[in-house]
Amino acid sequence: MLGLAKGLTYTLKNLTRKKVTYDYPNEPLPLPDRFRGIQKFYPEKCIVCNQCVTICPTDCIQLTGKKHPDQTKKGKIIDTYDINFEICILCDLCTEVCPTEAIVMTNQFELAEYSREQLFKNLEWLDENDENIRKVNKV
Amino acid sequence: MLRTEEMLLNVGPQHPSTHGVFRLVIKIDGEIIKEATPVIGYLHRGTEKLAEDLQYTQIIPYTDRLDYLAAMTNNYVLCHAVETMMGVEIPDRAEYLRVIAMELGRVASHLVWWGTYLLDIGATSPFLYAFREREMIVNLLTELSGARLTFNYMRVGGVKWDAPEDWIEKVAEFVPYMREQLAGYHELVTGNEIFVNRVKGVGTYSKEEALQYSLSGANLRCTGVKWDLRKNEPYSIYNRFQFNIPTREEGDAFSRYHCRMEEIEESLKILEQAVEQFPTAGPIIAKVPKIIKVPKGEAFVRIESPRGEIGCYIASEGKKEPYRLKFRRPSFYNLQILPKLLEGENMANLITILGAIDIVLGEVDG
Amino acid sequence: MIQDLLQSTPSLLNFGIFFGLAVLLLFVVLGFVTYGILSERKIMGFMQLRVGPNQIGGKWGLLQTVADVLKLLIKEDTIPKKADKPLYILAPVIAFAPAFMVLATLPFTDAFQFADIGVGLLYYMAVSGITTIGIVTAGWASNNKYSLIGGMRAAAQMISYEIPLVMSLVGIVLLTGSLNLNDIVAAQEKVWFIFLQPIAFIVFFIASVAELNRVPFDLPEAESELVSGYHVEYSGFRWAFFMLSEYVYMFAMATLTTVLFLGGWNSIPFLDFIPAAVWFGLKFSAVFYVLVWIRVTFPRIRADQLMEFGWKVLLPIALANIFLTALLKELFKLF
Repeated sequence: MLGLAKGLTYTLKNLTRKKVTYDYPNEPLPLPDRFRGIQKFYPEKCIVCNQCVTICPTDCIQLTGKKHPDQTKKGKIIDTYDINFEICILCDLCTEVCPTEAIVMTNQFELAEYSREQLFKNLEWLDENDENIRKVNKV
Repeated sequence: MLRTEEMLLNVGPQHPSTHGVFRLVIKIDGEIIKEATPVIGYLHRGTEKLAEDLQYTQIIPYTDRLDYLAAMTNNYVLCHAVETMMGVEIPDRAEYLRVIAMELGRVASHLVWWGTYLLDIGATSPFLYAFREREMIVNLLTELSGARLTFNYMRVGGVKWDAPEDWIEKVAEFVPYMREQLAGYHELVTGNEIFVNRVKGVGTYSKEEALQYSLSGANLRCTGVKWDLRKNEPYSIYNRFQFNIPTREEGDAFSRYHCRMEEIEESLKILEQAVEQFPTAGPIIAKVPKIIKVPKGEAFVRIESPRGEIGCYIASEGKKEPYRLKFRRPSFYNLQILPKLLEGENMANLITILGAIDIVLGEVDG
Repeated sequence: MIQDLLQSTPSLLNFGIFFGLAVLLLFVVLGFVTYGILSERKIMGFMQLRVGPNQIGGKWGLLQTVADVLKLLIKEDTIPKKADKPLYILAPVIAFAPAFMVLATLPFTDAFQFADIGVGLLYYMAVSGITTIGIVTAGWASNNKYSLIGGMRAAAQMISYEIPLVMSLVGIVLLTGSLNLNDIVAAQEKVWFIFLQPIAFIVFFIASVAELNRVPFDLPEAESELVSGYHVEYSGFRWAFFMLSEYVYMFAMATLTTVLFLGGWNSIPFLDFIPAAVWFGLKFSAVFYVLVWIRVTFPRIRADQLMEFGWKVLLPIALANIFLTALLKELFKLF
């Protein structure tokens, strides 16, 4: 009986304690800077080195480059850049290998969509996704 | 005597107490279980086969998804195996960060077990109390790694991120807080007569049986075998810390409960010491080539995960990808004793016994 | 007023009045169930460091249960193909009807009672036993193995706990000399029976929790073992009826506890300027709160231990209590 009584006092004590739940979705969750949400892409920084495509463990990134329009400059610029969010696991490896920080993580984690097509994020979408971008990307 | 018919009951794969997609086909006579056949594989993703086409760095996110309650230990076992084969020296600061992350993960994992086990037994509140503390750990690990569950934090040669500002202090603050809450848990549950009556003497096995079935972790220590790889075969920097291996002699569900609760305390001790000894500066990753190639050969390493001995075997042909990768997944091995334990037991004990083994289906099915 | 009506000749007007009063009581009970569930969820939430329902009906979630019930009413009515259809449909009715019937004899205050029958206590016990049949029927008719086990457990549990429940009350009947609930309340004007019959109270309280199928005796619907026991195949308003009968029983049982042990609507000394209805409400709420409190704290007891506890512990204690009461009563009479 003593154990039961102890348990009852414990729950009673908790009755008046501070609530620990978040008021989500009315208030956004407090997330640390390092939090990994859907990526932000800077087309102007990309040098089409293809490293993110190679490192991606689920092969969800596809990109194509084109020749630099300015004939005097060497190298390529990005033409299309797609991330398939059906299979992206937000592992952070693409941002880790990117030499120019052209692709970085944001705190945007609400990724539910009504159809599968909407889960294909293309270059425009990723470029416009510029809320809560991660500040520090490399150690 | 009245002839009674046996009934075939399908428990799972969609059942609130099988902790995932685990299926158990039981033959019952009244409420007595005559035969139990576990059916696994509903969550099989072929991690080991997938790994044969992936670079070593790319495998790390996959290990997160094996034992998703303690992803840090899984990260570590793969990195540890690769490092052993390459002979990489890990910087001190990285080792400390790894140990702190792993021990936090161990506490979180045991908390989830505690909460869900009590939920299986019918008490709703412990689950929420456990998740309150787990949420703090998860927040700490999010600050460190950037994800709540699938951390992908460790790299071959070290870790991905350094500790953020004030993070170590936050961990140091967490330890006494957790101790206080742990005392409350004991108040709420451990002495409760209903709970004790339900778990005491349930699902008992002997030391010999435990060894024959190759059990590990708390499932082994509850029979009195003092076996913890952190002490017996110290890896990483575990030989720098003072801690005990909690054991019990009875071998029943209650002793497993005690072992796990005491393990939380021991983990807190390690955390306390690690925070104290934490080096103020230094590199967090060793010098390793960008594309990791493991020399030809094979290696097997094993470490202590919250659920038992997790092992990683790598056979390499000197390429970027492993030739063969194999994980010794403790939940899978611990589960093998279940049919034997369930035979002749009451239906109500089914959940008590299954819960006490502490399986994670991601790990069972690989 | 009702006493006169009960004894008058039957007429259409009398029927109308009774019907109207019964509907009124039904709405009072439904109101209680609505806010009883809400307060239970709120208390549980607070004890578990959550806030509980807070979305529908303002900060306190005042319309949450209403919305839940509405959702259940408009939900598709599914009947499993291989179910025993007539029984499947009948089961919730059998389960709910007695729950409402027992309310007729319960005296809420000295003025507010429907039928003041001589064997009120016995009537309650007898009628409430019928619900078990509804639950077993549901378990059988669903043609589901989990619900069958749940139904069998319910039958075993209800039968074994009905006996100590009734036995524990014999002491009170001995002291009062009546089975009439009004007489029992009247006998507690000075001292409540909780003080005169503490053993009986403990036995009664434990057995009543078991009768209510609430934690720690919620085996028939053990969420984590039997998924949800006898009503696993039920959905929509049929399921709502099982829930409703459960909460109406909670209402009835809390009332009965108040009437039998806590002095009904009697006030404590020097505070009799507070109306009887308020006293009743306070005591009733206290019993209700304890039931919720227990639900938050305890794990579920095991089926075989439940039986052992009922037959080997509660029943002997209840019997000993009868013996002790009779002995003491006679001894006091001597002096």
